[in-house]
Amino acid sequence: MSGHHMTPEEYKSGVKAVWVTTALLTVITIVEVTVALMWPYGWSKLVLNLLLTFMGLAKAFWIMGEFMHLKYEVRSLILSILVPCLFLIWFIIALLYEGNAWMSVRQYWGGM
Amino acid sequence: MATHLIDNQEKAWEGGVDPMNASFGKLMMWWFLVSDAFSFSGLLITYATLRASNPPGTWPNPNEVFNAFPGTSVHIPLGFVSIMTFILILSSVFVVRAVQEGKMMNRLGVVYWMIGAILGGAAFLGCQAWEWNHLIHQGMTMSSPIQYHLHDGRTFTGPLAFGQLFFTITGFHGFHVFTGVLINIITTTAAFNGTFERRGHYEMIEKVGLYWHFVDLVWVFVFLLFYLI
Repeated sequence: MSGHHMTPEEYKSGVKAVWVTTALLTVITIVEVTVALMWPYGWSKLVLNLLLTFMGLAKAFWIMGEFMHLKYEVRSLILSILVPCLFLIWFIIALLYEGNAWMSVRQYWGGM
Repeated sequence: MATHLIDNQEKAWEGGVDPMNASFGKLMMWWFLVSDAFSFSGLLITYATLRASNPPGTWPNPNEVFNAFPGTSVHIPLGFVSIMTFILILSSVFVVRAVQEGKMMNRLGVVYWMIGAILGGAAFLGCQAWEWNHLIHQGMTMSSPIQYHLHDGRTFTGPLAFGQLFFTITGFHGFHVFTGVLINIITTTAAFNGTFERRGHYEMIEKVGLYWHFVDLVWVFVFLLFYLI
């Protein structure tokens, strides 16, 4: 599906793919909200958060892959966009660790 | 796809070859979005850090903060924001349909779906305005913290940072939605006037579409961090 034009066959399969992706995103969103609301009291919050993050990433994957058409681009273009985002993994780990350290300081000194 | 990467190699030195098989405008839109993704990541990771630095039980519970619904006093946790999320996804879908119609050179088809996308964007902004108005009336602003009643009658007071982060991040996102709607209106008008038909392709719709999908993409993570987790 490269270039500015499509054949009628590409159009037909493309339109179908769009609505399938829409249904998929809607279902994931409904599951996300249901899980967030129904998570039983006392169950692990960490598991819940990992589950929700995983579903969010799945949505991001389909939005970028299908809607933004990234799946159909050249490999070097895909890498030039995704590789810089690897920095974020370090960023998230470092700052969550830092946030926890601030919390221990707060709890040690009390207040806040 | 990567089948005919360099089909006009003789023009390579005159700029006749598209690097990565994508036009200049599309590449620059993608890389702009990468940089914009880092701006949003900075804000969202700040939220996560400050939340992690507050002891358990001191951060507001999203099911208690975001449970208002227009036109009713019944509390529906996450109800309104779920509708907002769906509106934004649908609006994104309409742009994909517009791009596909553009590839078939169907001028009115492009305009039809783009108008849908514009209406979706406007509806999202309207919902956000209502939500902001509601929260401000509840007393949450940049300078006063969120407060709500717990089930046992006590009043919960959250950290000031919660409201500040909420208004900053959803505001920054809402500003993106606002500019996206403006850009969509401009390109839809051009499409209607036949500008892209004379040009021979509707690539401009693809480029503004990338921006519009990015707005939806960011909302996935705003929704995740503020409302779900």
